[in-house]
Amino acid sequence: MAASLLVALIFMSLLLGAGPVSITDSMLALVRQGSDEARFIIMELRVPRTLIAMTTGVALGLAGALLQSMTRNPLAEPGLLGVSAGSGFAVAVAILLGATNATLTTLVAQIGALVGCAVVIAATRVHGLGNDPVRLVLAGATLSGLLLALTSMMMLVDQRAADEIRFWIIGSVAGKTLGDLTSTLPSIILAIGIVAVVARPLAAMALGEKSAVGLGHHPGRVRFLVVLAVALLVGAATALAGPLIFVGLVVPFIARALAGPDIRRTLWYCLAVGPCVMLAADILSRLLVVPAELPLGVLTALIGAPVLLLIVRAGRMPSL
Amino acid sequence: MTRTALFSNRRTVIANTVLLLAMLTVVLASLAMGTLHIPPDQVVHALLGQGDPLTRMVVHDLRLQRSIAGLASGAALAVAGCVMQSLARNRLATPGIIGIDNAATAFAVASVVGTGIALAPSTMALVGAATATALAFGLAGANGTRGYRFIIAGLGIGAIAGAITQLMLSQVAIDDANAAYPWTVGSLNSRDRTSILILSAGLLTGYLCLQALARSLNALQFSDPVAVALGIRLRTLRVIGLSLSVLLTGCAVAVCGPVGLIALIAPELARTVCRPGRMPITASALAGATLMLAADTIGRTLFSPLEVPVGVITAILGSPYLLWILLRPANRSMR
Amino acid sequence: MRLPAILPPSMLAGLLLTMISGLSLADERTVDTAFGKVTIEGQPQRIVTLYEGALDTALAVGAHAVGAVITRGGTDVADYIKPRAGDIAIVGTPGETNLEAVIAARPDLILAAPRTSREQFELLSHIAPVVASDIPLFQPDTWKRETRLYAEALGRAGEAEDIIRRVETRAAEVAAVVEQAVQDNERDAILARWMPQGPMIMSTGIFSASLLKAAGFDIRGQSLVDEGRPHSQTLSLENLSAMNQNWIFLATLNEDGRKALDAAKASPAFARLEAVETDQVIPVDGQLWTSASGPLAALAILDEIEDAVRSRP
Repeated sequence: MAASLLVALIFMSLLLGAGPVSITDSMLALVRQGSDEARFIIMELRVPRTLIAMTTGVALGLAGALLQSMTRNPLAEPGLLGVSAGSGFAVAVAILLGATNATLTTLVAQIGALVGCAVVIAATRVHGLGNDPVRLVLAGATLSGLLLALTSMMMLVDQRAADEIRFWIIGSVAGKTLGDLTSTLPSIILAIGIVAVVARPLAAMALGEKSAVGLGHHPGRVRFLVVLAVALLVGAATALAGPLIFVGLVVPFIARALAGPDIRRTLWYCLAVGPCVMLAADILSRLLVVPAELPLGVLTALIGAPVLLLIVRAGRMPSL
Repeated sequence: MTRTALFSNRRTVIANTVLLLAMLTVVLASLAMGTLHIPPDQVVHALLGQGDPLTRMVVHDLRLQRSIAGLASGAALAVAGCVMQSLARNRLATPGIIGIDNAATAFAVASVVGTGIALAPSTMALVGAATATALAFGLAGANGTRGYRFIIAGLGIGAIAGAITQLMLSQVAIDDANAAYPWTVGSLNSRDRTSILILSAGLLTGYLCLQALARSLNALQFSDPVAVALGIRLRTLRVIGLSLSVLLTGCAVAVCGPVGLIALIAPELARTVCRPGRMPITASALAGATLMLAADTIGRTLFSPLEVPVGVITAILGSPYLLWILLRPANRSMR
Repeated sequence: MRLPAILPPSMLAGLLLTMISGLSLADERTVDTAFGKVTIEGQPQRIVTLYEGALDTALAVGAHAVGAVITRGGTDVADYIKPRAGDIAIVGTPGETNLEAVIAARPDLILAAPRTSREQFELLSHIAPVVASDIPLFQPDTWKRETRLYAEALGRAGEAEDIIRRVETRAAEVAAVVEQAVQDNERDAILARWMPQGPMIMSTGIFSASLLKAAGFDIRGQSLVDEGRPHSQTLSLENLSAMNQNWIFLATLNEDGRKALDAAKASPAFARLEAVETDQVIPVDGQLWTSASGPLAALAILDEIEDAVRSRP
């Protein structure tokens, strides 16, 4: 079911948009027919955009599922925990220092995400805190707030860079090329490789650390690998689409609802649900204010916050 | 009255005096510092209504009015935070964190950028604050203000309100967006006098009501059955307390915009210095006023003649402190 | 007497001028502003401008501006006017005025922005007479009417007519150059600012667009800008073909316009526009083209238009 929905959304993403191309023209363009204009809009704008949205959705979905499983906290989400903010802040600093190269931005974003992750993990290691989802989320919100304030301070000092940062910080997948995507692909593939390795021990750890050790896993090593994978994924997603909030919350939430408690099944489902969520948000962002477009970050917040409320509204916190 | 009670009463008095002195120091600094250099003796002369008219204008109409706006909004936010913390028995439950600030801002921005809703920003801010609280309250379900669901619900509402603000700003002409900018960061630069008057009146009313309710509010530190046994009507008390803190927050946001963390840090500070087991309303107000004005004075002088909005300063200085509270290993409970 | 050592030369000259003109006529004028009539005597000598167009006019008619706000997106007054403004005090941003900095500049006249609030106006009025423009924005003749208003307040109405005539003559010159160099049916142009998510199309009502029109260009794109958004609107990349005109004037806030152009060209949607292929995308200074107004800005923009047309391959 998820797969057919995904296919439908991919088609919608290719066929719908702000541009002056009718749906029949778009279909013709997909089979290399139709006007030059339509072919260009479909092949050069909507195809990269669709692929980038899907990649971002997968990356953020997996990162969210991993974080939630490891911290046993259904609210642990890269955006809420400040991992995306760390990554965004690093990029803002890089822009301020004059960086424009796409590869450099990816690397910087991943280093920022790693630092953000480290802070979050340090927080969960603090005694008694790992079991308190709210406090962890608040710590993340505070971290995000701090970094945002620092960014606006930097923008005051250098107003010329400010323009670029301001537009980047809202988040969008428009105007990116396949080149941007390919420069982040290696790290995403590496991260997915890591996920394949840690999925089993992570599932074992969900049953309790003692039993995981009993099965021959090393919780410390697993945690390190998870953090690495999350940093790679979030950094790549942030470099592609800017700091997006709530995607990492919504995707695993839906995936878990479909897959049940097993983290391995959840991760599989994330691969399909992530692209669906991002595509839906991106399609809406294109259609709501034609001929312009809405910032994607605004839409993910509007879609994600109700899910947050839904999780809270549920009788009790779903245990992980 | 036992010796210890006497002693801790004295402790509260001493604490309040110290806070008052700190506040006066900051007020003096705020009056004396600025882009225009005015020697202290001339500031005093101008305050007494002497000296040349321009200096009088700077001291009275600019610095004094701004100081009053800072003091009143800081105090209002801090008192609102203090009450809400006590009601929720959770010191993280403050207006900023549960999204009241953001919602008030979203409503105020809506009126600034002209969405056809013809109400003054102040009124809109109040409406926004009330809406957010009602929503958070409703979504938290049977638990009311207790427990984490209230906070997380507020967090979600805050995120939605923030997104809507962004949306409105991205949809209007650049000059309208500029006009609404101070609302999004929290700033005290030349706010209109009516809002400040409304805030002062609201602060006075709220403060007096809370003082009258002090005994009942103090009983909130006990568990519900104990409080009921003491003759407290919990439901009524909660509704009144929550309404008062919404009133205070709405009025304050109408003046200074969404200045974060004052509502959390000031009561925290007050609880540390005051007699334990009492709700430190006066101390919170004094601490909030001091912190707000100090942050504004820093923002005003840091990159003079350009200003850093006060909300940016409180976020940069306050966040590390909040992180420390959140992550401190031996986390003492809120009371 | 050590007066010359204390006073800056320009001020001294102004002082002398005042004395001379003060002898000839008891000069007192009433100016219609957004907040009613304001009476001003003589030629003010220390002017604070809270609006880029006012700074431009003040300097163009030879008045002495002692304070100004930074340009939108900058940290100082706009680059094109920096040499003439000299060591001018910064008194705030276009959005927020630092009143203490205004007082510190000791003005005898304040030229305020069209959108000044009443509250702000009243505070400023305590410092010096305030002239806030009430001329409707984004009309083709907005800048001329603003120039006349501010110059009248400055007691330099004659100079204003001179400089406006100079701009009109210059526009005619450039129009002649354009007419000669560019064929009649190839003068369609669009004014935009490049953003990574898509171009921001400038309304045909903004100042630089009216100059392009005066120079003979046919400015398109108004249909792309929504009603109620008189300045600009961001366009989706998918609609980029809507800006497929013969000429594209591409404004940027970065120092290096060429760099912005290269960034834009990296986008495949942009690279396939005809103007890119014929090399008729002209990078222009965003501070000057999308934020400034006034006679000096007009002359500077006309120079850039002429350069662009002359250096055409």
